[in-house]
Amino acid sequence: MNRITIPIGPQHPALKEPISFLLTVEGERIVESALRIGYVHRGLERIFQNRSYVQNVHVVERICGICSHAHTTAYCQGVEALLGLQIPPRALCLRTLLCELERIHSHLLWLGVLAEHVGFTTIFMYAWRDREIVLDIMEALSGGRVAHAVNVIGGVRIDVDQEQVCLTLARLDELERRIETLLGVIRHERTLQARTRAVGHLSIEQVRSHCVVGPVARASGMDVDLRRDAPYAAYDRLDFRVITAEEGDVWARTMVRVLETVESVGMCRQLLAELPDGPLAAPASRRVPPGQVVSRCEAPRGELVYYIRSDGGDRPARVKVRTPTLMTLATLSDQLRGVNTADVPTVLSGVDLCIACADR
Amino acid sequence: MNVELILESLRETFSTEPLEPQAVPIDETFVTLPPDCIHAAVQVLVERFDLRHLSAITGEDTGGEIVLLYHFWDGHGLTLRTSLPREDARITTLTDMIPGAVFYEREASEMLGVAFDGHPNPHTLLLPDDWAGEPPLRRQEERQ
Repeated sequence: MNRITIPIGPQHPALKEPISFLLTVEGERIVESALRIGYVHRGLERIFQNRSYVQNVHVVERICGICSHAHTTAYCQGVEALLGLQIPPRALCLRTLLCELERIHSHLLWLGVLAEHVGFTTIFMYAWRDREIVLDIMEALSGGRVAHAVNVIGGVRIDVDQEQVCLTLARLDELERRIETLLGVIRHERTLQARTRAVGHLSIEQVRSHCVVGPVARASGMDVDLRRDAPYAAYDRLDFRVITAEEGDVWARTMVRVLETVESVGMCRQLLAELPDGPLAAPASRRVPPGQVVSRCEAPRGELVYYIRSDGGDRPARVKVRTPTLMTLATLSDQLRGVNTADVPTVLSGVDLCIACADR
Repeated sequence: MNVELILESLRETFSTEPLEPQAVPIDETFVTLPPDCIHAAVQVLVERFDLRHLSAITGEDTGGEIVLLYHFWDGHGLTLRTSLPREDARITTLTDMIPGAVFYEREASEMLGVAFDGHPNPHTLLLPDDWAGEPPLRRQEERQ
C-alpha cells in the first residue's frame, strides 16, 4: 500500500497548544511519526538568570497555565534549601493543599479534553463544570483561579480562617460526589472503553527506558510517586494511596487520573482538618549563599525537577527546569505506531501533554 | 538506592579518579568524573544497580568550561558531574543505554553547543530550524 505523509500542526484542532506532527500512514494505519516542538519556547532559563530570586517566583509560575503552583513549589523549596530555611508547618500544609487542589483541577481538565477527543461530549461538559468547583475553591483561597501566587520564598502568602475551612470542606464534599458520578459513568460506559482500551499502549519497559513519570508511568505499572517516595512539603503527614494500573493504555491512564482526584480530595480534607497554627513564612534573605540544589516535586503530570545554582548574589547563576511532558513526548512515536488515524487525538490527549511546560 | 554501594562500585571502576562525592540538598549526591568516564559510569549504574531513571541533564556555561550534570533518581538523587572545554565541548551520547536521554541531549546540544557523539537525531529541539546564532545559554560576555 502507498505511504502518505501528513503534516499536522503546529496549529491544529486536536490540541490547544502548538506542536507539529509528521504522520506517515498506510491507508488508515500510522506506520511512522515524527514531532517538532519549540513553537512556544520563551527562553525562560536565560530570563531566570537576569531576574532576582523573588522575581523568578512569578516567572516560574507562568511556565504552565495548569500546574503553575507545582512550579513555584519546586522552585521555592529549592531556594529555601539553599538558604537553609525551616519552613513553618502551617505554610507547608497550605502549600500542599494548593498542590492537591491543582492536581484535581488538572486531572478534571484533562478528563474533559480526553472526553471531547473521543466524542463523549457529555463527560467533557460534566468534567469541566465540576472543575469549576475546584477553581472556585482556589480563587476563594488565593484570589487566583490559575495563577495563585501562593508560594513565596520561605512559605506562603495566604492564610485561611475557620470560615474558609468550613466553606472549602463543604465544596470538597460536593466535588467528591461529582467525581463519584463521573467515575460511575466512566466505569460503565462501553463506548469510552472501546475508544481507549489498547490505544496508546506503553509497556513498563518502555516507560522505564524513556524515563517517563507521573500518571502515564503509573498506568503502565510503575509504582512511583514522589509524594510518597521522597515526601516534600507536608506529604509526610498525609495518608493516601498511590494509584497504579497494569494495562498501560489510555483507559488505564483515565482510571489512574480519576482515582487520583478522589485521593486528592481526601488529602485536602486531612490538611484542612489538621491545619497547624503558626506563622505563614520564615523570613528569607534576598541574597542566596553559594551552592546548588536539585528540587523535585510531583506535579499533576509527574516528577518536576528544578536545578538551581547560586553564586552568592541575588540572582541565580543557573536555573534548569525539567518538566514531566518532555519524556512523554519522546514516547509518542512508539505510541502512535500501528494506531488508526482516528485514534491520534485519543493518544495525544491520553498522555496529557503540556507543550508550554515542555518548551519553556 | 544505596548511594554508598554505588560510590563504592564507581571507586572500583575508576580507581584513578577522585570522585569527590558531595552532599547536595535536597537528598542528592554529586559525583565528579572526567567526560570520557561518564558513559562507563552510567553503564555501571544501569547494569549493576538498575538505576535507569535519568531525571534531567543540566548544562551550564560557567565561563571557563561547560558543565554537564546527569541527574539520576531512585528514591534518592545521584548526579554525575563532568566538565567539557568550551572550544570543543563533546561527549558520548547515553541514548544507547537510556533512550529517554534523546531530548535532554538535544536540548543541551542546541542551548550550549555540546556535541553528543553517536546521538541518533542530533537536530534542534526548541530552537527554530534555521537558527544561526550562538547557542543561547552560552555566556554573553564571552561571545565577542
